[in-house]
Amino acid sequence: MLGLLGEQGSDFAYKVDYANDIVTIISVVCTVAIVGAMLYFAVKYRQRDGVDHETPAIEGNNALEVIWTVFPTLVCIWVAWLGYDSFVDLRTPPPGAMEVNVTGRKWAWDFQYKNGKRTTSELVVPVGEPVKLIMTSKDVLHSFFVPVMRTKMDVIPGRYTHEWFRPIKTGDFQVFCTEYCGNEHSKMLARLKVLPKAEFERWLADDSEERKLAAMKPSDRGKELYVAKQCVTCHSLDGSPRVGPSWLKLFGKQGQLASGDKYTADENYIRESILNPQAKTVAGYPAMGMPSYQGQLSDDDLTGIIEFIKTIDGSQKIEVAPAAPPKKADAALASMTPAERGKALVADSSNMCLTCHSLDGSKVVGPSFKGLWGRKEKLSDGSEVQVDAAYIKESVWKPAAKIVAGYGPAMPAMYEGKLTDENLNDIIEYLKTLQ
Amino acid sequence: MSAHTHAAHANEEVNYLNWKTGLWSWLSSTDHKRICFLYLFAIMIFFVAGGIAALLMRLELSTAGPTIPGIVKDPHTYNVLFTMHGVFMIFLFVVPGIPATLGNFLIPLMIGAKDVAFPRLNLFSFYLYVLGAACGAVAMLNPVDTGWTFYAPYSTTTDTSVSLMVFAAFILGFSSILTGLNFIVTIHQLRAPGMTWMRLPVFIWASYATAVIQTVATPVVGMTLLLVIAERMFGAGIFDPSKGGDPVLMEHLFWFYSHPVVYIMVLPAFGVVGEIIPVFSRKPLFGYKMVVLSSMAIAAVGFIVWAHHMFVAGISDFSAKFFSIVTFLVAVPTAIKVFNWVSTMYKGSISFKTPMLYAMAFVFLFMVAGTTGIYLAMLGVDVYYHDTYFVVAHFHYTIQGGAVIGLIAALHFWFPKMSGKMYNERVARIAFAMLFLGFNLTFIPQFILGMDGMPRRYYDYPPQYQTLHTLSTVGAFLNGFGYIFSLLNLLGTALFGKVKAPRNPYNSKSLEWQTASPPIHENFETTPIVNEEPYNYGTHAHA
Repeated sequence: MLGLLGEQGSDFAYKVDYANDIVTIISVVCTVAIVGAMLYFAVKYRQRDGVDHETPAIEGNNALEVIWTVFPTLVCIWVAWLGYDSFVDLRTPPPGAMEVNVTGRKWAWDFQYKNGKRTTSELVVPVGEPVKLIMTSKDVLHSFFVPVMRTKMDVIPGRYTHEWFRPIKTGDFQVFCTEYCGNEHSKMLARLKVLPKAEFERWLADDSEERKLAAMKPSDRGKELYVAKQCVTCHSLDGSPRVGPSWLKLFGKQGQLASGDKYTADENYIRESILNPQAKTVAGYPAMGMPSYQGQLSDDDLTGIIEFIKTIDGSQKIEVAPAAPPKKADAALASMTPAERGKALVADSSNMCLTCHSLDGSKVVGPSFKGLWGRKEKLSDGSEVQVDAAYIKESVWKPAAKIVAGYGPAMPAMYEGKLTDENLNDIIEYLKTLQ
Repeated sequence: MSAHTHAAHANEEVNYLNWKTGLWSWLSSTDHKRICFLYLFAIMIFFVAGGIAALLMRLELSTAGPTIPGIVKDPHTYNVLFTMHGVFMIFLFVVPGIPATLGNFLIPLMIGAKDVAFPRLNLFSFYLYVLGAACGAVAMLNPVDTGWTFYAPYSTTTDTSVSLMVFAAFILGFSSILTGLNFIVTIHQLRAPGMTWMRLPVFIWASYATAVIQTVATPVVGMTLLLVIAERMFGAGIFDPSKGGDPVLMEHLFWFYSHPVVYIMVLPAFGVVGEIIPVFSRKPLFGYKMVVLSSMAIAAVGFIVWAHHMFVAGISDFSAKFFSIVTFLVAVPTAIKVFNWVSTMYKGSISFKTPMLYAMAFVFLFMVAGTTGIYLAMLGVDVYYHDTYFVVAHFHYTIQGGAVIGLIAALHFWFPKMSGKMYNERVARIAFAMLFLGFNLTFIPQFILGMDGMPRRYYDYPPQYQTLHTLSTVGAFLNGFGYIFSLLNLLGTALFGKVKAPRNPYNSKSLEWQTASPPIHENFETTPIVNEEPYNYGTHAHA
């Protein structure tokens, strides 16, 4: 009715919104009536010219007291019922709901499906099906809040809590942690992806990568992630300098930070540098060069990477396989519009665009894609440039050619050969839609 | 009111402020009026510190991402700021402050007593407060980052000085209990001849209800906080699930105290508004008995609603339903109060001195606080709003718009009695306007942020929330300047003001106005005898 709580994503959302609308109307009417009466009395019965006038000694009125005791009581019973009614739906998952196990930890959300598939910071569900989340915490209290679904529940160590919803539309929605849990509380976010049923089934069944990783020894897992998570782009294995320090003989190395302090590259230092790269920057490297991997890597992943780094001690030459080709079937791509293909390319994790460029206007490592197309950018050399097709292609293939003022030379030169001219035309079509 | 107080000319100039001099005469005074000033001075330190923390938070939140990295250098600093803001404002300013300052000054004067029942215990309570406050201040050297709620297991595992901070709150609890006991005994035993229960001003009733809550609820939080210390020092395993404890138990025990605490904060303010409106309307307080009854009802019901802070905390759905329904029981007596205040103005002869402006603002702010409280009592709706900015805005309307505005109203209203001077009316009104506009500009955007789903205690936020956050920050600074001007006006005119206050500048009927401004050390020259109701204004119809 009033639409105060925004988009409705679950089948019970309308009930919560209805209760919220009714109480809003009652509140506004009551406040206006009472404050209006007060202001009316204040004006009507004011002392004129500062002279006191005679007043009647009215001490009360029993009939009025009864009315304004009974009337608010009745209103309260009604709105209490509305609140109760919406709550019952929201707390009662239908039998046969798809169950997903959720684990909160400082500071990310892990999800596990019945077939063993795991994700971090990304909950993928099918549209139209009830989903029941069975939640627990590894450390302190968290709370799983999906605004668009109108549901929220605390996540508690040592016990299970649950929440459920039945998505009524596909899309990509925000999940917040709403119980204070320490330093990165405000970064403990996740995405809820609601997919068409068939697409979800395909996604769920695709567990090849997961199984492969689970069976590996930690250092092999780290080696796999080195490519899959694009560490390779900025960190070499042979000592050659790229955007970031090489991993050759990195473990145990001592050196100087940009702040002047000393560092020793032990397990904790590496872990911190992956999750919170800006905390310590090695002297001589760009301060904003690396995006945070907070929420993208599990503890096992981090251990794997650290173990992998330990193996790069120079005793043997390490070969890595090139990044896996895009998984999306060519047939599926062919049936899409150019803008849709562009969107898929941008979202494809092997391309890593979204690691540094946001879609919502927020500044990450690089400029946001939102509103980028057609804008005039000021470059670091002071000149101005119009964001057109030629500029975008140059920026992707040869990122160092033109740097927008306020950003560092952080974008890796890895896309020439990886993204074709056709790919870029699709991406440009997609960017045009992000205004 | 026929209070027989004939001040002798020779004694006119001697009053409680000047009958003894020197710092020690203040620090060791058992005079309830001087102890009011000791408290007032002490709590204002924490009001200012907590206020600065709030403004730094608002400044940091004015844009998405780091805004003032020079001061708030990381999320931890931000977390410390909101903990400091909450702990200082709740445990060191509002809870101990409003009952102890206003109650101390007014209870004996309003009931016609020489002092409270146990004057030395009263001074002891103050020094317990000082000790607790000192522990709290020292704890901020390794600043606590738990939020004022100290939820386990975060609070039992973080390496900040939670134990000391919790111990501070424990000591402050004792101070609060002893003050509450003192006031209860005073109101029972020291009423002047003729001051029957039904002739007590509503402020006394509100203070009485407050004192009962202080003595009954505070021991529970005392125990809880000791258990937190036991958990941290000896690994007692009461709240930490990794040792077999239950974190939800901690929430129950915490809110069993901290919900009634809301009424400790706001009941005295209800009392203040009930005193101000009749005087400036020249009318008896409408429905006196219902106003009194509703204070007691709020105090009683306030004890059985605590788990409405925990609808999504993992309590059973059945408990959630029970606590939702009883929470609505608070709404009714609160509504009754508002209706009676407004009806008091009907056919009055209303003048708009600053205290009346604050009282009328209070009615508006409390309507917003109360109606938004209804949203949060509604189960399905609270699930959405819980721990969003909607809650932040709601409880600031209650605590700042209610309790703190009530305190500021009272400081203006009783200023002539307390200081013997008159404050500058024009400055007071300008400050009022800034405070009122600034307050609403701060928190109305926060209601909208809550409706948009913005969670609280976030150092950073997605960019779509930025405009509302910026507005809120502008409002917070306007609000802050309003406080600075109003308090400097009071402080300046108290110290350097030239306009002496008459005995009864508002022509009030209640007892405290019948003695000198400022009163003598013993309050009244002779014991006053009361033979009429407290709000005997207006003309009775001759029918």
